[in-house]
Amino acid sequence: CSRLHNRPTISPTLLLSNMYQRPDAGAIPGQDPNMSQMDPRKVQEHFEDFYEDIFEELSKYGELESLNVCDNLADHMVGNVYVQFREEEEAAAALNALTGRFYAGRPIIVEFSPVTDFREATCR
Amino acid sequence: RSRDRRSKRASGFDMAPPGAPLMPTATSVPVPFSGVQQPMPGMFAGMPM
Repeated sequence: CSRLHNRPTISPTLLLSNMYQRPDAGAIPGQDPNMSQMDPRKVQEHFEDFYEDIFEELSKYGELESLNVCDNLADHMVGNVYVQFREEEEAAAALNALTGRFYAGRPIIVEFSPVTDFREATCR
Repeated sequence: RSRDRRSKRASGFDMAPPGAPLMPTATSVPVPFSGVQQPMPGMFAGMPM
């Protein structure tokens, strides 16, 4: 995205950038890069495994209000995970705990996000 | 959704790429043994208490 986004110093919402990688996107070594040849049930299973991993890990730091995963194939926001905690302090604890760690062989990039209402969330 | 499959699957968390430096996590912070006496601030060994 070429827009200048506001990056708050504290927020109940965290953005984990490009964390979800679709198995049919061709970005994961050993996975089938051809979407038409990938069983949709396997794609769904892969997503559910990812979602459970994220939910279980993030739940250690506080009560989750919302957990959204972008599973689009276009470049914009691809694989972004937005997690909204009930309290800002819980989000801060999660940010501290996740910084410097890896998921599926890739570093976790985490920051606070200004998004608090996902129904109104647009890139502006 | 089957919980059996979930229980057999390893989480993707802390799956580092080959050769990546080990990063300390919240669970790897060393905790002093309970039996070890910790020096008090401003006190030196051999000083009368």
